[in-house]
Amino acid sequence: MHIFGSRELVEAVLKKDLCTGCGACVELCPYFKSYKGKTAMLFPCTLSQGRCFAFCPKAEVDLDVLANRFWKAPYEGTPLGKYRNVLAARAGEKMENAAFQTGGTVSALMTLALKDGIIDAAALTDRNDMVAVPRLITRAEDVSGCAGSKFMAAPTLSVINRGVIQGYARMGVVGTPCQLTAIAQMKTNPLNRQDFKDAVALTVGLFCTWAVDTRKLLPLLTECIGDACIQGMDMPPPPSEIMVVDTDDGKVEIPLERIRPLVPEGCHVCPDMTSEWADVSVGVLEGEPDWNTLIIRTEAGDQLVKDACNRGYLKTKPLPAENLKHLCIAAANKKKRALIRARDQGLLNTTAKDRHSVLRLRPEILETIIDTAREE
Amino acid sequence: MSHLLEAKAGDRRLLMGNEAIARGALEADISVAAGYPGTPSSDIIESLARVAKERHLYVEWSTNEKVALEVAAAASFAGLRSICVMKQNGVNVASDFLLHLAGSGTRGGLVLVPCDDPGALSSANEGESRHFARMLEIPLLEPGDFQEAKDMIKWAFELSEEILNVVMVRSVTRLSHASGSVVFDSLPETDKTAVFRFDGPYLDPMKGPVLSLPVTIMHTRQQEKLKQAVAKFEESPFNTYIGPETPELLIISSSVCHLYSKEAIHILGLTDRVGLLKMGTTWPLPPKLMENYLGLTDNILIVEEVIPFLEENVKILAVELAPQIGIKKFFGKKDGTIPTVGEMNPDLVVTALCKILAVENDGVPEIYTRRAQELFSAGAPQREMTFCAGCPHRASFWSIHNVLQMDNRQGFVCGDIGCYSLAMLPTGFSTLKTLHSMGSGAGIASGFGKLGPFGFNQPALAVCGDSTFFHAVLPALINAVHHRSDITLVVLDNSGTAMTGFQPHPGLPVDAAGNSVPAIDVIRVCQSMGAIVRICDPFDLEQTQQTLFKLLERKGVNVLILKQICTLSPEKKAGKNFEMTVDEATCIGENCGCNQLCTRVFKCPGLIWDKQENVSRIDEVICTGCGVCASICPSGAIKNKEVA
Amino acid sequence: MPDVRLNNDPYNVIITGVGGQGNVMASRVVGGMLSRKGFNVTIGETFGASQRGGSVMSHLRISAGSCWSPQIPKGKSHLIISLEPTEAIRVLKDYGNPKVAVICNTRSVHSIGVISGDQVYPDLKDIKAWVSELSQSAWFIDATDRALKMGNPILGNIMMIGAAAGIGLLPLDCNDFKSVICGMVAPDKVALNVSAYDLGRQMVNCGND
Repeated sequence: MHIFGSRELVEAVLKKDLCTGCGACVELCPYFKSYKGKTAMLFPCTLSQGRCFAFCPKAEVDLDVLANRFWKAPYEGTPLGKYRNVLAARAGEKMENAAFQTGGTVSALMTLALKDGIIDAAALTDRNDMVAVPRLITRAEDVSGCAGSKFMAAPTLSVINRGVIQGYARMGVVGTPCQLTAIAQMKTNPLNRQDFKDAVALTVGLFCTWAVDTRKLLPLLTECIGDACIQGMDMPPPPSEIMVVDTDDGKVEIPLERIRPLVPEGCHVCPDMTSEWADVSVGVLEGEPDWNTLIIRTEAGDQLVKDACNRGYLKTKPLPAENLKHLCIAAANKKKRALIRARDQGLLNTTAKDRHSVLRLRPEILETIIDTAREE
Repeated sequence: MSHLLEAKAGDRRLLMGNEAIARGALEADISVAAGYPGTPSSDIIESLARVAKERHLYVEWSTNEKVALEVAAAASFAGLRSICVMKQNGVNVASDFLLHLAGSGTRGGLVLVPCDDPGALSSANEGESRHFARMLEIPLLEPGDFQEAKDMIKWAFELSEEILNVVMVRSVTRLSHASGSVVFDSLPETDKTAVFRFDGPYLDPMKGPVLSLPVTIMHTRQQEKLKQAVAKFEESPFNTYIGPETPELLIISSSVCHLYSKEAIHILGLTDRVGLLKMGTTWPLPPKLMENYLGLTDNILIVEEVIPFLEENVKILAVELAPQIGIKKFFGKKDGTIPTVGEMNPDLVVTALCKILAVENDGVPEIYTRRAQELFSAGAPQREMTFCAGCPHRASFWSIHNVLQMDNRQGFVCGDIGCYSLAMLPTGFSTLKTLHSMGSGAGIASGFGKLGPFGFNQPALAVCGDSTFFHAVLPALINAVHHRSDITLVVLDNSGTAMTGFQPHPGLPVDAAGNSVPAIDVIRVCQSMGAIVRICDPFDLEQTQQTLFKLLERKGVNVLILKQICTLSPEKKAGKNFEMTVDEATCIGENCGCNQLCTRVFKCPGLIWDKQENVSRIDEVICTGCGVCASICPSGAIKNKEVA
Repeated sequence: MPDVRLNNDPYNVIITGVGGQGNVMASRVVGGMLSRKGFNVTIGETFGASQRGGSVMSHLRISAGSCWSPQIPKGKSHLIISLEPTEAIRVLKDYGNPKVAVICNTRSVHSIGVISGDQVYPDLKDIKAWVSELSQSAWFIDATDRALKMGNPILGNIMMIGAAAGIGLLPLDCNDFKSVICGMVAPDKVALNVSAYDLGRQMVNCGND
């Protein structure tokens, strides 16, 4: 396995703008901290191997290792990853009093999971001023307070790391594909530690095409909305070319062409649009703003969704074929774009001692992904 | 009773050079002493402050050296004798006033004592004060040993009153902080009354106004005063010669360097071949005396520190006297015989003599030297300079460094002179990125804070101490506020001028002699300028960091005062806040999750690293119980228990 | 003129240790004692910045004649009194010679480099062997440990002075010590210091190693 330490993490990821601020390396030790969306190393550590590098979703992620661990089969590179079922879903009547964006599926599932004790705490993302901040929620009623898209990565995994130290044993996470890749890395106990405990019992992944660098977005937001308070952020589906910021002063539109340059390189080499390593994944449902697309991947995810439906927390209906087709195309295109870019930047399957890969996958799978998508 | 007073005339005592100077000032019947703390000069004012009451003196730690000289000058204008004390770079600070004072002249004797630091044993420079005497055209004397350090002061006061101008007596570290035998003289008992006469005609030196104008007239007078001094120098008892009547080589030296030269001659057994002329009056050089000794031989070695001041002056004279004395061969700094950098020592003079006279030195057998060197490499780990255990600066720079890293905009800190200068080293996490003179950090940061229009977007911080705040930071801070420069100034307030021995300053309610005096409130001063002020306890890392984050986002001038008393202060030495322990079972040691944070990174000398057991421990002898290590320990293994 | 003669003139003593160990006070005491005997004593010190955890040295020149350089020339020390073991090695490199005598305290003070793990502190038994190799005679005293038992580790430096008196290379005697110490510490501390001095003297006479 290609595991290195903090110095390599800085050289291979932080200095190359590959960091998406997921927080996997933060709060493991005193040396990596996150502030206003930026991860920084306070002091170098001398270890040649560390959990920081091992967990990082942009450092030597071997997709076969993960696939073997989770699906007991090698990585196939299919557009949506492995799944059992895809449905349309939305929050049920038990969630009527809660406020959420779009369908509310994520809030519903996390609320039930906390209520039932399936998880002892939930790592969610909140907003403080303009900045997305992580929170470890222990009360079900506090879940919906964290609802809503942020489009900025928060170091949500840092509260997982702190939660482990605080003694939580069955945490739930709502995260982006990169964050869930990191959780998947964590679950493999990459450093073979004797004291390893898998403290994450439930993962809910979000669909994500890209996120924005917080530090670069903040000045743009300030310019566009001034002193107003942000209440929500949304990106209407294509052909819309805007981001809509909902403030207490009204809605402000920001053209996407001003947002795109603020996307970190790490997002450009990310092949995962639907959080392939989650128990369930949730995204928008094209054409129906009050519903979500829900992908169920594991037995734990399946069980939770069934419970939620039975108890009135969740409503589901079949997903129209068109939606599934479009979703697959979009996901396949992201995968192809990202892998081509990663390959061209020398970040795939590297062999040189001083060059680290972002991802490792079998060359034949890589070929398939690139060729298949070309057929569309 | 201070030991400076308890001996009588004729008694012999072992005194530090600075104490000898202080005793000399007392024997010269001074009334006023003013200075600013600076190693190696501080003990002079401290010694005088201790006897101020008994000897009816006024002794002051002034805000800075310029003000100190002005205070001493006032006493002189009122007919009293006064002494002004500072380290070498203090003269730079006082030099504008000194320039004008040398022009206007003085009345009561005024002796300026700069203590230089060749080799920079306790300085950020090895600049010199000697050239100020030449540049500003005042007499310069240099004591060569401890007896002279005392005797020369009285002589200097007599000279000062004869020529009615300031006289410089220059000491160096190896004299000021060394000790030697001194025979005491009597202490005078005279009554003095201070009166400032100014109604007389313009050019009346004792009764007119004190002016350096009209400049050309006063400058002419100044030069005549110098000629008067030279006449006295020809007969001065402080210029001595030991050696043969016709030496092969003449060494001309001054200050403590003459002791090194004497030692070198003795080691090599060259007492009948080498003569040593020790000059105590080094500016201007008395030409008749010089002609006499330069005529003894054609080979001259000049031994001094640091720059070739004496060497150049001797060479100029030699050129002028060439028709009488012939052409000389000079050895010294210019030809590389003596190093041009660093302090002198006997061995450097031995090397020079061996080279010039082609002799060998029977030193230590080479086999011994080689073995000692070998064992030194294994057996004597180098000692890095470090903040003391419990020093608030370690905690302050921990917070500043970490906040800047998290802020992630390449922010940096400009520093100035004090214990916290050490923050350029790992002990302060290498946080300081510029280091120059007193107060310069604030001035430089104020400059950086105006570079926004040129695309500059790095947060600029400055640190200063509570003493340098009053010394030199105030004008820079006013500059920043007035010009709307975006900076954050961190005042490290440890309630004293710590690096030089914990002297008081205007921010404290006590003066040099221990009297109760009003303290100037740093907070109100900054606020009245229009700066935003916050105060934190640097030992409270969380609060300090949160406050600093907020200030870094603010434009304009922010002042953060980190207030915690120095660990060496008398109050602090009395007791610990906490009893510290390490729970070895919980300690993660060098493994992932800690990697030896407390001993490897925080580096407090109160901690011990046990590599075998992979745990940290507390060194009870050194730990002062500040509790900061417990705040940073990631596993919670370090615990602090409040001491009752 | 002093009554006693020195083995060498000038007789060169180096007192060395780490800043804060009482090096300066020790040199003043020894210097003061010999000054009382009528000798011309010169002491050179390192002050100020070096005290912040750095190595410190006091160079003492004892002479029946005049004032000597406050820096001892290389290789010319006659007696080294070291308050810290590795400082003895450091001083021996520049100022040692085959005839030098060394009295060494055994309590180590770790440098920051050792604390952080960058450097290794040598074994005491190695240091003892090396010091003995580089000197004509060497004594090793557990001064700090005994001083801790007496109630204050700083008394270690006084004990070392007692040891220096005990080995007899310099005319150091108890009466001079008492007179000098009375002028330097509070009256209620004098007896404790005298005990420390006596204990140091005994420790070398009993062949304490």
